[in-house]
Amino acid sequence: MTRTLLLWFAGVLVLVALPHLIGSDYYINIASQVLIAAILALSLNILIGFGGMISLGHAAYLGTAAYLTIYLTAQAGFGHISGALIAIGATTALAMLFGFLALRASGLGFLMITLALGQILWGIAYRWASLTGGDNGLGGLTRPHPFGIDLANPTAFFYFVLIFFVIALLGIARFIQSGFGQSLQGTRDQPRRMRALGYNVWLIQWFSFVYAGFWGAVAGLLYGYYHQFVSPQSLHLTTSAETLLMVIAGGTGTLFGPVVGAALVVILKNVISAYITRWVMLLGFVFVAIVLFMPEGLVPGITRRVQAIFKGKSRPEATPLASIAEDNAT
Amino acid sequence: MTTPALEVKGLDRFFGGLPAVKDVTMTVQSGERRLLLGPNGAGKTTLFNLIAGDFPPSQGAIRIFGQDVTRKTPNQRTHLGMARTYQIITLFAKNTLLHNVVISLMGLADLRFNPFSDLRRQTKLWDEARRMLGLVGLSHLAERTVSETSYGERRRLEIAMALAQKPRLLLLDEPLAGLSADERVDVQRLLQSIPRDVTIIMIEHDMDVALAFADFITVMQRGRIVVEGTRAEVVANPKTKEVYLGH
Repeated sequence: MTRTLLLWFAGVLVLVALPHLIGSDYYINIASQVLIAAILALSLNILIGFGGMISLGHAAYLGTAAYLTIYLTAQAGFGHISGALIAIGATTALAMLFGFLALRASGLGFLMITLALGQILWGIAYRWASLTGGDNGLGGLTRPHPFGIDLANPTAFFYFVLIFFVIALLGIARFIQSGFGQSLQGTRDQPRRMRALGYNVWLIQWFSFVYAGFWGAVAGLLYGYYHQFVSPQSLHLTTSAETLLMVIAGGTGTLFGPVVGAALVVILKNVISAYITRWVMLLGFVFVAIVLFMPEGLVPGITRRVQAIFKGKSRPEATPLASIAEDNAT
Repeated sequence: MTTPALEVKGLDRFFGGLPAVKDVTMTVQSGERRLLLGPNGAGKTTLFNLIAGDFPPSQGAIRIFGQDVTRKTPNQRTHLGMARTYQIITLFAKNTLLHNVVISLMGLADLRFNPFSDLRRQTKLWDEARRMLGLVGLSHLAERTVSETSYGERRRLEIAMALAQKPRLLLLDEPLAGLSADERVDVQRLLQSIPRDVTIIMIEHDMDVALAFADFITVMQRGRIVVEGTRAEVVANPKTKEVYLGH
């Protein structure tokens, strides 16, 4: 436990020191984007990694919260706090509805419903130009000034996002180690058995869907603040697919996998694209390499290889004492 | 007169046009040991699945301890005091034996809805899980993952998970299937040690074990009940021989 706490503390310290280590505003902004994408990927991982529900519509919560934040604050005259609360509340309510609809199916059916619901929202954002600005999107948002701190400053905004990221990470870590989180993992592995043991599988999955939607909304709020602009692209299938890629590349069902996956995709997208025009192709190659050499994802794959080096073994071995809770704590 | 543990009336279940269970009516009294016999395809497991609520009947009614559960979900039935084991072992293979029992215990606890409390700190739950594993002789394997255990140990774990829920009605689907002679004796002893306030309905093909265990026997064939009675009545009934020997 002490070791885990120390690791958490060290991780937070590194993140706090990051702006001073990297110096350049450009890279500090990239770091902010990584954290926002990580919150979104962490939320999707609740569904995919811990719930076994593969969603291709998770951009719905990012985009909806971003649209609502910008619309309410920049156009409808709401203050930053009320605009943010309404945006997160309404997006979470949307997740309640979408969860209700999507959980009528499982497996491929679930995936297709989430995809369809996400595309409906994209269609609305794209076509309802009088409200959403259509293809031109919505803008005009200024970042808030909490306690007089100007969030237009990249370093200040990074710390602002970092606070949300740490809360999200702690909240999700506790969730997956809780009785409820363990129930969710049980429904992923043996739904029939879980029903026979007295669990309401649908309710557990629905609540988890809503919880994931909530954190997706938080990511959307920060996305809106970061870009101060939102377009239908934020709701598009490619955004959902990119988030899915982050989760799979980093390692589904692990706490830090999606964070690493988010860092990989955002850095490739923003940094490598400055040097290589066909960065998407490079992303494809990286993904194929991960699938070939570390099919379980970067975090579990690297952990396995490091353990193999220390133990002098080349093949993975089941750890005695391993329980889901312990797996997820690492 | 006490309320029966289970009442099944006119139960039908069709898969397409095929009747898997047809017009089954039976009553199991509280504390009874009931054995379900029949050749493969007789509808025994389908009847179990109907009682457990895995799928709804095409027709008929099921009451558990006097309460109509025909339209209730499996988890609602579990909360009424029913537990079951499976013919095909259904466990959480990547988890430890201890964790499997904890999941079972949590199924009836409010903790299953708590997203804040760390499950690892629920010492009472873990202690109780260890006690249940001790009951089935698996304490020494508590920290081992299910995938590292033998078939017989998994069968015993299934029973531990069912008993952990302190059921009033226990459905055992071939609990001795695939066990070695020694393991059979262990499990048999375990089943006999279950207190009489637990009603047990068991499907079993090992006639020696099954007949020694049961108070009352129901023989099924092609989805219907063909013989029902005490051990002596069922053994003496020529229909039983016909079902098993085919003449």
